[in-house]
Amino acid sequence: MRRHIGTLLCLAWAAIMLSACATPETTQKAYKFSQQGTVIWNDEFEFKPPPPEWNIIHVEVGGEFGFGFLRVDRGPFPSQSMFVYDEEPFGCSTELGERGGEFFKRYLWSTTMILDMQILEKKNVHLLGVEGLAMVAEGKDPVKKEKVKSKVVFGKRGDRVVAFYLTQWRPIDGAYDPSAFEIFDRFWGSFKFLKKSFYQTLVEDP
Amino acid sequence: MEGHQRNLSLYERFNARVLGVSVDDVTTLKYWAKSLDLTFPLLSNVTGFLGPSFGVGPSPEIKGFPVFNRRTVIIDMKGIIRYAKDGSPDFKEILLFLKKMNKEGGKP
Repeated sequence: MRRHIGTLLCLAWAAIMLSACATPETTQKAYKFSQQGTVIWNDEFEFKPPPPEWNIIHVEVGGEFGFGFLRVDRGPFPSQSMFVYDEEPFGCSTELGERGGEFFKRYLWSTTMILDMQILEKKNVHLLGVEGLAMVAEGKDPVKKEKVKSKVVFGKRGDRVVAFYLTQWRPIDGAYDPSAFEIFDRFWGSFKFLKKSFYQTLVEDP
Repeated sequence: MEGHQRNLSLYERFNARVLGVSVDDVTTLKYWAKSLDLTFPLLSNVTGFLGPSFGVGPSPEIKGFPVFNRRTVIIDMKGIIRYAKDGSPDFKEILLFLKKMNKEGGKP
């Protein structure tokens, strides 16, 4: 019983945090909780939510990503972690390995930092019921004395490539927090599509 | 432009072709196309004389240099502009419009 109460309290806390971190209009429309405690986003995606200290971020139009979560980490600027689901990741290739190369040519360009991202790890993963590709990379800006570690997971939705990515920023001598990567892995690992994408419908419907 | 490249096969499905027009010079456009792996044609229109044909004028914010506003236009086979929108392309709207045009037989 205590465990049930604890679970309910956790869910209630997550709901409060989620509702507190998005604009009211978006909150009502964007998501709801399933009975299993997963988030149903726009009736289109389902996933396990991160812990309540992760705040929702949502870009409607013209952004580089659809929605995701941000956590301000302990430590001096720029200590923070953020992960997102992106329906239009940088690049054009539909082959995941090639797309990964294209992606990292432009990834984080808007930071205006010279990060010189180095790929630390590249491996196949099981994502969304098919084979995906996970890449871990790190970049350091010696002038601004900041660094970033990122994990990007590429998958397919129909014929198109989609991506999940986590970026964790730190001062150049700061230590990364692996817990954010574990939470991120649970997020993309639990991700499901509840309906066909715009592009799938576009080509299938007469 | 990368978004258009991503959608090329869909444009072809709806009998549409993409053409980019810019006031940048040929060398700049070649480099740019290469960096983004663009395979569709880009036209260099350094003087900007094509702008008025598409209803595009120099940006009022920048004086003395022909920086043009961004606009997406869809032109049908008769040369009539059927769609025009300023700002970043709304790819979903564009694709739905092309699909509708193709269905109606008014191929872009």
